[in-house]
Amino acid sequence: MTAPTHDPLTLSLSVNGETHDVRVPARKLLSDVLRDDLGLTGTHVGCEHGVCGACTVLIDGRPARACLTFAAQMEGHEVTTVEAMGRPDALSALQQALHEEHGLQCGFCTPGIVVTFEHYLRENPDPTAEEVRDVLSGNLCRCTGYQNIVAAVLKAAARMRGEAA
Amino acid sequence: MSGDFTEIGRALPRKEDRRLVSGRGRYLDDLAFPGALHVSFVRSPHAHARILDIDSAEAAEMPGVVGIFTGRDLDQMTTRLRLAPPIEGLQPTELTTLPIEKVRFHGDPVVCVVATDRYLAEDAAECVTVEYDQLPAVTSITEAFAPDAALVDDSLTSNMVSHQSLCVGDPAARRAEAHRVVEARFSLHRHTHVPLETRGCVADWDDGRAHLNMHIGNQVPHPLRSQLAARLGLSESQVTVMSPDVGGAFGQKIALYREELTVAALSRHLRRPVRWREDRMENLMSAAHAREYECRTRTSVSETGRILGLELEIDEDFGGYCFYPANYMARVIALIMTGPYRIQDYAYEVRVALTNKCGAGPMRAPMAITSWVMEGTIDAIARDLDLDPVEVRRINALGPEDLPYKMPTGELLEDVSPRETLEIAVDAIDVAAFRARQAQARAKGRYLGLGLCTVIESTTYGSEFYKSAGIPGSGHESAWVRIEPSGAVNASVGLMGTGQGYESPLSQAVAEGLGVRSEDVTVHMGNTNIAPYGMGSRGGRGATAGGGTLYLCALKARERVLAIAASMLDLNDAGGLRMRAGQIERMIGEDWQETGLALTDIARRAYLDPLALPEGITPGLDFSHSYDPPAMTYSNSTHACEVEVDPQTGAITIDRYLVAEDSGTVLNPIVVRGQQQGAIAMGLSGALLEQVIYDGTGQNLSATLADYLVASPNELPEFEILHHNTPNRRTPAGIKGMAEGGVMGAIGVLANAVSDALAPRGVTIERLPLTPQSIRALLREAAPSSTKRTQP
Repeated sequence: MTAPTHDPLTLSLSVNGETHDVRVPARKLLSDVLRDDLGLTGTHVGCEHGVCGACTVLIDGRPARACLTFAAQMEGHEVTTVEAMGRPDALSALQQALHEEHGLQCGFCTPGIVVTFEHYLRENPDPTAEEVRDVLSGNLCRCTGYQNIVAAVLKAAARMRGEAA
Repeated sequence: MSGDFTEIGRALPRKEDRRLVSGRGRYLDDLAFPGALHVSFVRSPHAHARILDIDSAEAAEMPGVVGIFTGRDLDQMTTRLRLAPPIEGLQPTELTTLPIEKVRFHGDPVVCVVATDRYLAEDAAECVTVEYDQLPAVTSITEAFAPDAALVDDSLTSNMVSHQSLCVGDPAARRAEAHRVVEARFSLHRHTHVPLETRGCVADWDDGRAHLNMHIGNQVPHPLRSQLAARLGLSESQVTVMSPDVGGAFGQKIALYREELTVAALSRHLRRPVRWREDRMENLMSAAHAREYECRTRTSVSETGRILGLELEIDEDFGGYCFYPANYMARVIALIMTGPYRIQDYAYEVRVALTNKCGAGPMRAPMAITSWVMEGTIDAIARDLDLDPVEVRRINALGPEDLPYKMPTGELLEDVSPRETLEIAVDAIDVAAFRARQAQARAKGRYLGLGLCTVIESTTYGSEFYKSAGIPGSGHESAWVRIEPSGAVNASVGLMGTGQGYESPLSQAVAEGLGVRSEDVTVHMGNTNIAPYGMGSRGGRGATAGGGTLYLCALKARERVLAIAASMLDLNDAGGLRMRAGQIERMIGEDWQETGLALTDIARRAYLDPLALPEGITPGLDFSHSYDPPAMTYSNSTHACEVEVDPQTGAITIDRYLVAEDSGTVLNPIVVRGQQQGAIAMGLSGALLEQVIYDGTGQNLSATLADYLVASPNELPEFEILHHNTPNRRTPAGIKGMAEGGVMGAIGVLANAVSDALAPRGVTIERLPLTPQSIRALLREAAPSSTKRTQP
């Protein structure tokens, strides 16, 4: 067995609008660097093989699986995590709707869903329930049965369009 | 529901949400422990094999490796798990912390590698060489019970680790006098829980204090502490269990698993924090599995479909290890099988097999198969006698005049409404209109089906249940309520939530009892140094045991608060006083009027001016209470669903799904509705897609989420929920508990609906899951002439 290379690389990562210099092994996953090296623990690791969607972040504004990405690939790219999308005392419209519609239970999948739909609703401000279900199929939720998540996304979309909901 | 409540029953959004929805929750892996070591387990590639030699020399020299430990090492640091409850027909078992002589399933942990980081630990684990001598693998119940079967556990006399039976009344006589004897079979496949957050823990041994701080997402912190202390030879004063936010559990986070005990022992041994997070493959292969049953019913019926007697056989595949007594799940199925129906002549036989698979444990609705078996049996009767399945349900269902009803097993049903929920569901789904649509569709070669499934859900298990079932344990729960000097209200209970959203509904139970607003109550859970010793979260006990105990404790606190208030108002007694939203009110004439006195004033006096307290009242406002619920509480429901089956692809579409529910007094309707939806989703996901697959040699073929399929929103319907809540008159506030019945109903209703859809093709569903492949296989086997393909 060939010994893997452990020599760390020095990376300059742009995350949530800030630049971070980190020294990490080349093989270290983006999800692990965000969590361990930058302390951004809102990005959750649920499967490490790209199925569950809990680790979804935005790379240059588009959703991607942080568990299938090496941090070393991210130089020159902008990464956005759930931490940039609202705070407990200042929730985004989508987060507020998830709260009101009981669109989460254990909450482990929720950051991935928030990231996915913060992006989706910007590009698709008026989706149907069927379209929301289709997009949501990239995020596994074991608790809710999805119905309330769909309702929350539709409610947030209406509010973001300026309609009463 | 009682209109007297002001806090119980409020649709209060969850207190947990703000931190969780913004990515600020604190789950286990979000907790930082400087200098923590990481472990990785070397797992068995074989289902059944002797361990001949373990060579870790190369791995030990690799970068970052701190130590490598085997079953022999751990046997020096821990005691073995012996399960020998005095239950007739149950063989005692004993297991070491890690296997020493042989492995019993594909994924069994064999060696623990400790390193300075996770990546390095995994590198080293790959370089540990274990030499095995393979043994024949036992991979099914049939193989396990074969006379020449290899022994999964060498210390047992056979693989039948548990065998019990019961006969009440005279089912044989009923068979002899029956109009018909209807037989039916039900085969439920192996599931696993798939919490989005896998298992994991951080053990932080405090060497100066000789104290273990165990951070672990777990449903039952205090029983876990007892286990940890006993297995490590520590006193319970030397162990603190702390459960942070938990990313789902569904029954998988109850037992003290071998990996967790290993991590705790190694933290103590190495005098450093040690952490473990299993990956998804380990979770799917090695955490815990569930639900693998073969059931057969033989039902004696009259000409009208009235059930005269029921005989049930249950065989369970328990896997390779007993982390629970082997009769733990199957026995409940047998005890409550007759559920919503009037049956008094009843016999069961329950056999549990050890096999070379991952050990089984309770999974949300451990008795999930019950409702499918009973309701599938009802449908089998209707088919056999050519009767309307609704009518067969009606003439057998328990109505108000039958209650309280003692099941043949002695289980007592009271304050349930199975006939009422049946009628609500039948009415709401409009069976007659469906039958018309179904006939039209069949004429066009389309297969629509309607299923019904009535559920009696055992929710809260009191100590009396455990005693009569011969299972060691208690069903009581404990709580404290403290009003602080500022008037702030803190409370605690021995439950631990794993995503249900306890914080709001339990605050409501306290607020109702005390007379404050739910928003002003904080409930602390999950830390064994803070919470009172309780039995934790399992089954549907959270609301009745947890909420009920908190409510009773808060009533006790209210009594003291009002006594102090009476003295401050110069009244002789508190008879005409109450507290609402933290304000003391007095009945004057016919009206409640403000007194100007608030909880803050009373708290200040109780803590800071105790000499002014009335005689006999001690300083402070600190209350504790424990409560043991009735032997069992039951909720009930009737599920109805419409499906369409595509005979070409085998795909099932759920066109409509509704459930009429009786969950008793509801603490918080938002949370209850979420639990109903989630439970149904879990049942449907299991019935449609999920399946742990072992091949004939015991290799696990479903070790990724691309192989073990969990339902996405595209497979699940919208759920319509109809309420018919009747309070339980024996519990605090009439609470019953819920959250598992949805799984029970979903499995049964889907199987029944698909059987109904495919009736013209002569297909009856006896085996789950209902994947497109399995539906196609059933249609091929049935092969009616109309669809036989002719050779070109």
